[in-house]
Amino acid sequence: MAAYALSMPFMVAFALMIAVPLVYAGYLSLFKKQLIGGVSFVGMDNYARALTDPSFLGGVGRMALFLVIQVPVMLGLSLLFALILDSGMLRLQKFIRLGVFLPYAIPSVIATLMWGYLYGKDFGPFAQLAKSLGLPAPDFLAGGNVLFSIMNIVTWGFVGYNMIVMYAALRSIPAELYEAARVDGAGEWRVAWSIKIPAIKGALLLTTIFSVIGSFQLFNEPNLLRVIAPAAIGQDYTPNMYAFQLSFVNQDANYAAAIAFLLGIVIMAVSYGVQLTTNRKEKAS
Amino acid sequence: MTATVADRLAAGSQTTAPPRRKRSGRSTLLTVVMLLCLVYFLLPIFWLIVASTKANEDLFNSFGLWFSNMNLAQNLNNVFTFQNGVFIHWMVNSLIYAVVSGLGASALATAAGYAFAKYRFPGGNAMFTVVLGAVMIPMTALAIPTYLLFAGANLTNTPWAVILPSLVSPFGVYLMRVYAADAVPDSLIEAARVDGASEMRIFFQIVLRLLVPGSITVLLFALVASWNNYFLPLIMLNSPELFPLPVGLAQWQAASAAGSGSQALFSTVITGSLVSVLPLMAAFLFLQRYWQSGLGTGAVKA
Amino acid sequence: MSRDISRRSILAAFPLAALSVSALTACGGGTSSASGGPSSPVSQADIDSAMKKDTKLTFWTWVPDIQKEVDLFQAKYPAMKVEVVNVGQGGAHYQKLRAAIQAGKGAPDVVQMEFDKLPSFTLTDNLLDLTPYGIGDLKPDYPGWVWDGVTPGGKGIFGVPQDTGPMGMLYREDLFTAAGITAPKTWDEFAAAVSTYRGKNSSSMLVNWAPSSEANMLGLFWQAGGRPFSYDGTRNVKINLTGDAACKKVTSFWNDLFRSRNIGNEPDFADAWYQGLNNGKYAAWLTGAWGPVFLQGTAKSTAGKWRAAPLPQWDSSKPASGNYGGSTDAVLKSSENPIAAAMLARFVNTDDKAALTLANEQFLFPPSTKTLKNPAFADAAASFYGGQKVNQQFTDIASTVQEGFQFLPFNDYAASSYDKTMGKAIGDRSDLNAALSAWQDDLVQYAKGQGFTVAS
Repeated sequence: MAAYALSMPFMVAFALMIAVPLVYAGYLSLFKKQLIGGVSFVGMDNYARALTDPSFLGGVGRMALFLVIQVPVMLGLSLLFALILDSGMLRLQKFIRLGVFLPYAIPSVIATLMWGYLYGKDFGPFAQLAKSLGLPAPDFLAGGNVLFSIMNIVTWGFVGYNMIVMYAALRSIPAELYEAARVDGAGEWRVAWSIKIPAIKGALLLTTIFSVIGSFQLFNEPNLLRVIAPAAIGQDYTPNMYAFQLSFVNQDANYAAAIAFLLGIVIMAVSYGVQLTTNRKEKAS
Repeated sequence: MTATVADRLAAGSQTTAPPRRKRSGRSTLLTVVMLLCLVYFLLPIFWLIVASTKANEDLFNSFGLWFSNMNLAQNLNNVFTFQNGVFIHWMVNSLIYAVVSGLGASALATAAGYAFAKYRFPGGNAMFTVVLGAVMIPMTALAIPTYLLFAGANLTNTPWAVILPSLVSPFGVYLMRVYAADAVPDSLIEAARVDGASEMRIFFQIVLRLLVPGSITVLLFALVASWNNYFLPLIMLNSPELFPLPVGLAQWQAASAAGSGSQALFSTVITGSLVSVLPLMAAFLFLQRYWQSGLGTGAVKA
Repeated sequence: MSRDISRRSILAAFPLAALSVSALTACGGGTSSASGGPSSPVSQADIDSAMKKDTKLTFWTWVPDIQKEVDLFQAKYPAMKVEVVNVGQGGAHYQKLRAAIQAGKGAPDVVQMEFDKLPSFTLTDNLLDLTPYGIGDLKPDYPGWVWDGVTPGGKGIFGVPQDTGPMGMLYREDLFTAAGITAPKTWDEFAAAVSTYRGKNSSSMLVNWAPSSEANMLGLFWQAGGRPFSYDGTRNVKINLTGDAACKKVTSFWNDLFRSRNIGNEPDFADAWYQGLNNGKYAAWLTGAWGPVFLQGTAKSTAGKWRAAPLPQWDSSKPASGNYGGSTDAVLKSSENPIAAAMLARFVNTDDKAALTLANEQFLFPPSTKTLKNPAFADAAASFYGGQKVNQQFTDIASTVQEGFQFLPFNDYAASSYDKTMGKAIGDRSDLNAALSAWQDDLVQYAKGQGFTVAS
């Protein structure tokens, strides 16, 4: 009984705030609403339509690319910084740790605004520097570059956060685990590779899965950058933007709901895949 | 209250932290390299500070990473007086939404996480799985269903429309479940039961204090998430006096591009952005050790 | 109706949502409600008594300081209490309006609505026909093309015009003189001026044309006599971008300019664009009549150097222009105080003092001939434009805008579709003619998918 009593407040809030809208959206996704002709039941048609919709597939593909590049870079940097911090070899350790973490305090809306200025082709400081050196100004917002520019904003914001999570995990490894290795003459990198990293596998998995979810649900950054790069960032640039566009511009909340569920399934599949790979690796080693 | 929490946390981290390891010698080279990396992380923030001191024209006519004519006082004045000082409303709103959501989410997640960790009950695992699965589905497309439900309950355009959804932190429950599994020894609960304590009493009088460090983690997460929340309040709120900072600032930014009746407010938006990130940055500075131990807890045990 | 039933039944499945169920069923739902105003004229006595009754109205608008006009209204009708809310400009404004309409509650009584958005809200039957409230007697005060804008499909009067944007050209006289050109009178001259100007300037261009520019481009189609869209108020739309000679002519003209790389293709209303106007990167701006004051506020350092002229012409014997931007105030069908709401929409835009304040203090370009001819408006000399009577210039332009232009009843979609076809081509400087076909095809596909009968 106590278990129900304790979990009840959360579960009630969960049901009202998430489950009911979810179920309602799931229900909506089975219908089609036309501006002329009203509502009709279409079963799984919306889902079938999404599977051949270049806007949806393109967005998922773009996010997959984002994921494959950005997540390893970000988590790699986080891990590297965490290991350096943990090695105790740094001066100004506290200052550096805080500095890397600070961008996490900045809402993505504001972060995008700032980077938008920095990216500016005419008046951004990088462009100004390039011009004063007589070089062509880099165009961070051109079609081929903008995905990387978005990756940069996300990486900038979250390296510090992931670093802190990993650093905390590193700090909790019992020292005796690697004191022995040290005595045997293993260097810092060797210790990091063969002892520390395996020991914080849980933290790595956690940060990976949350990065996967974050990548696929990307919305704020591209949506706000669109204002200054409308030709490079379409309204269907990410699946989440596409769903938003469908809901609020195309007036097709039904199809948007189907898109959201499919995206949820993709995210689950990828997260599950990540977990499986780690488990398999664990067994292999 | 903060004092006791602080003491406990400090005490907690002392007992669980590994013994200080031997330093393998400090490296100046490594420090310099890291400081260079730091330039990357701090550069945009530095830009924001510099840009906040410039008038609209200087934003474009002077070098972006250095100061020009000092116009900070005028900008600040604009920020706080534009549209009858609505910015102050936004700051207060952001604070209220973040604190209430943070405390609420933390309380709910703590109780639920403990229940999932320490009790085997029918439906328990299924419920937990559903909670985790729900994180995977993006809320953007649920905006309309959620809006309709809230409108039905007369909650749109009220603070509740922002606070209530923020009370639900599936990630928080996950963290608390992991945390509770480790931090609360089964033997302790058993002993209390033998002594005849009721389950509720066990939770509130014995277990709760062991869970505090984990709860603080969830509190901090929920606080930051709510402070940064843009999408939900954007959908739910109509009255500018109810906006939190990100929505308000985005509206000012959009005011520059509205065709007829447009106003170019770039310097005001930039200065407003700086003012709005200061509280959280200050909190990060002064509450460093809580972040440290707090953020770590979940991941450590995961 | 069917949507309400389905909403109710799904919620009933969840006891937890019982609270919402009662609320939802109680409010009926906005889109299919049968109520919504009388069909026969409302008598003056009804109006008088309604205006004496204590009434609270909500007014969504993003016009800065519109409280001034609202105060005049409240002074005249002390029983009225109007709450002015700026829910967001542009996109956010309409999204919130749609959400509130869909929820059946929370929508305002009076709402600012741009001309190109009106048909999408009459399509869903959300706007009150103001004919019974005597708004029809305002018709003689407006040029025909303005009245077209508030009577989409000819099925009623759905808004009171607030401001318009007949298109003209703002240009830097000093830069033009330095390049040895004068304000081009025809588009041929314009094309020549573009390349002459570019030839003399390495870091400046005659003009910029933004990728997200559907409304702006439609203004040029309009000027050229293009009438690509129509909607009859039922289920029939015409989408004929590629079959309309004028639309094709304009598109092909701009295609050549973009390909020549002699004009800019930067996003407008963004920081860099503002600065481009401020520092001489662009020497001209083809814009609506709201442009002059807008420019004055954002390009201060170039004061005195700008001039206003009509758009270049296709046929200089028949001067023409198109409209770009501008708004109306509409009344929601769901309003519980339709008389008071209609009176508010009417008063803030047509009361002599209110209209003049909108024009002279908030700088909305007035739609009504009365205000346009008012010397307090027309004779104002603008020092930013070297003392030119800019208002007079645009008043003259307004009289050359032709009637008969219509917007699609899904202009939101049309604009976003423009962005991904035409806008993309502008951004990439790729084939704009092909993009026009792509835009056409996409619109037809969407319209058919939404159940319209599409003619071309």
